Amino acid sequence: MNIVLIGMNHRTAPVEIRERLYIVCSDEKETFRKLKETSVIKEALYLVTCNRVEVMAHVDDSEAAIEALKGFIFSHGNLTKEEMEKCLYTYHGDDAVGHLFRVASSIDSMVMGEPQILGQVKEAYRRCVENRASGVIFNRLLHHAFRVAKRVRTETEIASNAVSISFTAVQLAKKIFGDLKGKSILVVGAGEMAELAARHLMHNGVSKIIFVNRTYERALKLADEFHGRACDFDLLGEKLEEVDIIISSTGAPGYVISADMITAALRRRKNRLMFLIDIAMPRDIDPEADKIDNAYLYNVDNLQDIVDENLKERMKEAEKAEVIIGEEVITFARWLNSLDVVPTIVALRNKIDTIIEGEMARSNSWMKGLGEGERDNVRILVSSIVKKILHDPIVGLKEESENGGADPYVAAVGKLFKLKEGG
Amino acid sequence: MNTLLFEIALLLYFMSTIGHIASLVIRRVLVAKVSTWVLFSAFLVHSIYIISRWAETGYGPVANSYESLSFVAWSISGIYLAFQIMTKTRVLGVFVSPLAFILAVGASVALVGDIAMPESLKGSWVAIHIMLSLTGEALFALAFLAGLMYLLQDNLIRKKKVYSFSRILPSLRDLDRINYISIMWGFFLLTFGLIAGSIWARTVWGSHWQWDPKQISALVAWIIYALLVHQRIAIGWKGRKAAFLSIAAFIIILFTFVGVNIFFVTVHKFM
Repeated sequence: MNIVLIGMNHRTAPVEIRERLYIVCSDEKETFRKLKETSVIKEALYLVTCNRVEVMAHVDDSEAAIEALKGFIFSHGNLTKEEMEKCLYTYHGDDAVGHLFRVASSIDSMVMGEPQILGQVKEAYRRCVENRASGVIFNRLLHHAFRVAKRVRTETEIASNAVSISFTAVQLAKKIFGDLKGKSILVVGAGEMAELAARHLMHNGVSKIIFVNRTYERALKLADEFHGRACDFDLLGEKLEEVDIIISSTGAPGYVISADMITAALRRRKNRLMFLIDIAMPRDIDPEADKIDNAYLYNVDNLQDIVDENLKERMKEAEKAEVIIGEEVITFARWLNSLDVVPTIVALRNKIDTIIEGEMARSNSWMKGLGEGERDNVRILVSSIVKKILHDPIVGLKEESENGGADPYVAAVGKLFKLKEGG
Repeated sequence: MNTLLFEIALLLYFMSTIGHIASLVIRRVLVAKVSTWVLFSAFLVHSIYIISRWAETGYGPVANSYESLSFVAWSISGIYLAFQIMTKTRVLGVFVSPLAFILAVGASVALVGDIAMPESLKGSWVAIHIMLSLTGEALFALAFLAGLMYLLQDNLIRKKKVYSFSRILPSLRDLDRINYISIMWGFFLLTFGLIAGSIWARTVWGSHWQWDPKQISALVAWIIYALLVHQRIAIGWKGRKAAFLSIAAFIIILFTFVGVNIFFVTVHKFM
């Protein structure tokens, strides 16, 4: 019994190779059918995302299984053997378990700590269950992986700080305004990043959004999409005072919003704080605005610096996560090893039960003279003696198995009690 | 019995201090949550102590400066806990817990024993005067702390250093709100505290106002807080300016409370 994993990710394989497998594996029924066809594989799970392909299996014979899995990928990826060997990694046993935990906890992700991967692992497990490719071990293993991912998330800060410009903007807004409920945004110009930031802000409670654009139709279109309002470009100065957050990304060559406009707006809004985000290149908002009391101006570089800093921090947090994963791999290995002795224990118990039943039957003749209650008492007495005798050996077997050293004991018990597996 | 209650409260203040500082170092919200509850229990035990002491002596909880320290520790914890419920900002506890602990330690020096109270300090006006003024000052202390944190956070955000320490600090808006509410309530209480004091002054010294250094500096502090309240409400001062002024005003209040007794001859000295 062993767990093996082969796969490739964004570090080991170029996108051209990953995408070929991505397409092939999209037919889940067919994939599982082929995986199960391989006789050495007892349980199988595959995970395909844009950054990785992982195939994991619970097998009897690791070597044969890995060859089979590789064969599976060769035949489906339409790749040469050399190409494939270069991209693939292979893990056995605890290493395979550790790799799964690392993937689920988003330590192995391209953007470390990104939250989607856990959902993708869960989805992969769901497919695996639906196609009846999971058994006792994978059920336990995957649930364990979900728990590990949760532990890593709560016990480290791997995912607590933003690593994208738009999320950084949201975090900053929260540092300034606390709760974003009831706050309003003005989006000047249009652009993917501005729209993304606006979307994130609205997702975090911002309720009012106004769009201003040189071409009014464009503003209208965006307003429609975001359920906001559109406004004429000439009214920009007046609108400033109405909003708490301004995101500017026009293609204008000079400053669109001057420091004076901000000062005037602040005066009219009684100094309520303003957060100015300038993601235009060249810049839209006069940098002098940063010196105004109660206004905070961030440009793309400022935001990027924070992103870089947060990424560095995630690296540090990943080390803490590795410790957690190490612990959890040991916990799982203990359980997995304890499975080795389960058949022996079952066989031992069955044998003893058979003996008890036989002896009780033989004693039937003289026990007839006893009352019903007394007969029950005899039965209870016998089984409790047997239980007491078996208790220590069974606990001992389990303990040895958790440390992976049960084999000689299993052999000895089997031989001494003349056990046949399964009873 | 009484002393034991106070000592339990003291121990709980200490534990809350350690807990709050630990929560900063290891950055676990759970530790901060537990510390808040510890502070809450310290506040409860302290409340029982004050009530039972009051019942026992019949003097009110502010009969001498040691008791006053204990009272300030108690009120500042209570006010902070109220803010904590309102704004969910736990970081202030890192400052409030040690402050309450130090004040309580100061109080513990001479809390026990009978109070040798001058005749002039007996009466309900003086108790009202002291309690209102002290609670007002406790609120100003919180406004001061929130102001300091505001300036720090503002500076970090302005310098684009929003990682590390900035993350622990509450948002600008919450800090400004704490500052605002503290100033408003503190001003309200101080005003009535001063009025009660002047009524009492007439019964002791024959007139409402003596041009005593203590009275003068209290008036100066009151005027500054009045100005701050005015600027906030009428002019719409927010953020940095308000934070600065509340810090300056608190330093004057501190001087009134401690400094005057050291540097000047004042009739407002009873020890």
